[in-house]
Amino acid sequence: MALDKRFIGREYGPYSYTVGAEKLREFALAVGGARPGAGTPGEPPPHVSPLLYDAQAAKAGPYGDLIAFPSFAVVFAVRPFSAAIADPELAVNMLMLVHGEQELEFLDVMRPGDVMTTTGRIENIFDKARMSFLVVSSESRNQHGKTVVKGTWTAVIRG
Amino acid sequence: MSRTFQPGETFTHVRECDRYRPIYYAGASGDFNPIHIDPEVGKTAGLGGVILQGLCTLGWAVEAVAVFVGDPGRIRRVRVRFSKPVRPEDTITFEGKVTSVQDGVLTAEVSATNQRGEDVLKGAVVEASIG
Repeated sequence: MALDKRFIGREYGPYSYTVGAEKLREFALAVGGARPGAGTPGEPPPHVSPLLYDAQAAKAGPYGDLIAFPSFAVVFAVRPFSAAIADPELAVNMLMLVHGEQELEFLDVMRPGDVMTTTGRIENIFDKARMSFLVVSSESRNQHGKTVVKGTWTAVIRG
Repeated sequence: MSRTFQPGETFTHVRECDRYRPIYYAGASGDFNPIHIDPEVGKTAGLGGVILQGLCTLGWAVEAVAVFVGDPGRIRRVRVRFSKPVRPEDTITFEGKVTSVQDGVLTAEVSATNQRGEDVLKGAVVEASIG
């Protein structure tokens, strides 16, 4: 079923998220290929940068603290996209939904303690080849008001 | 940064989607869409079982460039189209090529293919600051 274009421009948020050291480490190691177990995010594979999990090494490094793996941003920046998908007025069929495209722009690193505020809006809704496309933008600012992450999220809903 | 980069340089990064990676990534990311964790739901959705979160594959493309430039904090942009699902026990080979080095920004095109030679990402571009 085609999505209703009148929802283009609908806004979601703001949503607040506080970046935590253990969550950063957990995410970096899950992407990096570690095998988490009870009480540990797992042993870091050799290709994973210590800046992402070793607080001591990171404090001596270029950023002065642990930093987030760049796409950690999706943990909080996804919120307007997931809100749009779950919006009862849009009535997206979740089972027919796949993530079609993604763009993320990183304007600064993220460190433990950063407080991110994310807003987003439906940028576009269109149909192509019997599929519906839903495009949501997101913008996440830190506690200093600086924009750190911008995202463009495209869902494809198979007809 | 001590190293210099030239257009045309290439790099390779190989990642295996082990059996429980979609579940580990769900835990870390919060993406518990059942198509990633429940094989029965994946089958009902016509996917033949669970598939890895596309954003984990995106993370691996970012990782390929982060390892190449030596610092994950230098990644500035990533753009991908998800063209085919990644499944547990797939091995994905990321092949990167530097397409430009300009004003302190390195741009790389990254292809991602599974063990059958099928593209799982299309048109992936990653930018990193090298200034």
